[in-house]
Amino acid sequence: MNKIKKMTHQTEFYIFLVIIVLACIIQGRSGQFFTGNNIVSLLNAMIVPALFSIGTFMIIVSGGIDVSFPAVAALTSYVVTVVLNAADYTGPIVVPFLFAGALGLACGAFNALFIAKMRLPALIATLGTQSVFRGILQGALNAQQINDLPISMKEFGDTNLLVSSNEAGVTSLLPIAFLVLVVVVVIAFIIMRYTMLGRGIYAIGGDENSANRAGFKVMKIQFFVYCFAGVLAGVTGVIRASMMNMVHPTNMFGMEMTVIAAIVLGGTSITGGTGTLTGTMLGTFLLTMVSNSLIMLGVPSYWQDFMTGLLIIVGTAVSSIQILRSQKQKKNSLSRASS
Amino acid sequence: MKKILAILLVAVLSVALFTACSGEPAAEGSASASTEASAEASTEASAETGGEASGDGNYTIAVVPKDSTNPWFVRMEEGVKKYQEENPGMTVFQRGPAETDAAQQIQVVEDLIAQGVDALCVVPHDPGAMEEVLGKAREQGIVVVTHEASSMENCDYDLEAFNYDEYGGYIMDTLAAAMGEEGKYICMVGSLTNDSHNMEADGAIATQQEKYPNMELIDERLVTDDNAETAYQRAKEALQAYPDIKGFVGTSSFDAPGAGRAIEEAGLTGKVFTCGTGMPQTNKELLENGAVSALTLWDPADAGYAMCKLATMILNGEEVGEGTDLGIEGYDALTLDGHVLTGNAYITITKENVDDYNF
Repeated sequence: MNKIKKMTHQTEFYIFLVIIVLACIIQGRSGQFFTGNNIVSLLNAMIVPALFSIGTFMIIVSGGIDVSFPAVAALTSYVVTVVLNAADYTGPIVVPFLFAGALGLACGAFNALFIAKMRLPALIATLGTQSVFRGILQGALNAQQINDLPISMKEFGDTNLLVSSNEAGVTSLLPIAFLVLVVVVVIAFIIMRYTMLGRGIYAIGGDENSANRAGFKVMKIQFFVYCFAGVLAGVTGVIRASMMNMVHPTNMFGMEMTVIAAIVLGGTSITGGTGTLTGTMLGTFLLTMVSNSLIMLGVPSYWQDFMTGLLIIVGTAVSSIQILRSQKQKKNSLSRASS
Repeated sequence: MKKILAILLVAVLSVALFTACSGEPAAEGSASASTEASAEASTEASAETGGEASGDGNYTIAVVPKDSTNPWFVRMEEGVKKYQEENPGMTVFQRGPAETDAAQQIQVVEDLIAQGVDALCVVPHDPGAMEEVLGKAREQGIVVVTHEASSMENCDYDLEAFNYDEYGGYIMDTLAAAMGEEGKYICMVGSLTNDSHNMEADGAIATQQEKYPNMELIDERLVTDDNAETAYQRAKEALQAYPDIKGFVGTSSFDAPGAGRAIEEAGLTGKVFTCGTGMPQTNKELLENGAVSALTLWDPADAGYAMCKLATMILNGEEVGEGTDLGIEGYDALTLDGHVLTGNAYITITKENVDDYNF
């Protein structure tokens, strides 16, 4: 009983409810939601935003923000592809991943340098670095779409974990990249839940000074979160390129807003200190589901932006109202107890 | 010290941000590009005798593309070179800015005016920004022909490869042939506010209603944000929401390729078809494995050639208007509306002829 009551105090629970309700509506309108093909398509569409959201979630919890990750992903995937193509690389997929991770780490460290070391406001710093990364891509590298990927990246994108098909023989594929997402989620979950580093991330997001006095190395922790997000962004860039079977320099730009919206929708406080990875994953799933179901819902094209916005607001409102209510109840019972 | 450094960094980064938002790192780039351009162009001008050559047929015609490295305009230059070969008495060349940037392009045009060319053929990146400098060119008696800029005021004529309605109809004809003239289809557009995409989609639908009674439009217009990934996701969803769908009309250059990927993934190659605008070389694989039935397009080389020919005709004082023949397929019976000349220069690219197009 107590457990259930505790659950109703959590944002995740309400996001989950919203997902279920929306799924039932889509199922009712199209009869297509609870089909293997649709679920597989959704999981497929979720891989890239979910990978982005993990790193950004950790940054937001630590009291920062990052809008540069799509630019980092675009830059690293482009450079990795160009360099490996030039070297006629035919070896295993680990090399592109390590290479992208290293470049991503450098970009993340570049962010961290300004934010952790120079104490610049994170939003301004990452808006600036975002332009720098984009500028390198478009100006210095004169980036254009590339259709020939190194063979291992192409194979990685073509390897499937799961193939679902319906009675009409229409198939839907879940690429092996989904496994990367699972692994990263597990790693991030362990860090946030069971390590002193994770405690530190929450602590500095709550109050930097108190965290400092409690003995957390604020600068080191900040460095870690930006670097971690950088590595993830780099790897995600390569995954995206493999899945699309091409590198396109600009088509990830704009994702930062949906990713941040998903994190906040999942109950993470934008000012830092609170939030869970479960909530982030649910938020990302909800937003992916909304943007990939409007046709099935029969929403006319002219109204799709409106519906997306509305669902974000309703989704966030439902949970925050419930949380507010439960907090009030708690307060009331507390004041009664003290009087 | 640290504080000063921090403030300085904020300033630098925000400046970087704003300049990046407003386009390109303009200043140094354009300066170097223009000096380069004028240096090269002055050798060009000195090679040509006199400069003022009106009337004798030895004209100097300069073609200014949006940028000089984009494969599209590299292809355009082939048409320009072909025109030069056919008219050895003239000096015909293409000179563009190093990157797609309105300011740099204007600089190139100004340099060319200073050299005293006889005609300018411009594909403006930003037609509004180009008006003033082209007005200046015309005041000096330079013939101005533009392309892909039907709203342009300061030009003798604007030359368009086709009108969008008819092009939409052409995409529909291509798709209908692939679909066997029957089945349900859907139109994809980059955005609901993009004029050319929506005119093309309207044209495609009108043609279907007129010519293909067994085809049926699904009452929906997919919005793909001019993004390959969005086009793919939307097409996938459409395949799921409408199991009996048989065709996709693509208008943005990412639409048909995106739908092609979705069709390929669903294992529906040969059962569901897509046709639309797209670049041949970047989509070669999708054409070859049959996921995309055909791409429709106009050939920039022909456009480059036709612009030079049109400029020559104006310089010669020949009459230009309804029915003018520029001596190249697609531009052999132009229609005139205001000062906009329109051809019907579309081409179809299939797996058979994709290797003929290197862009």
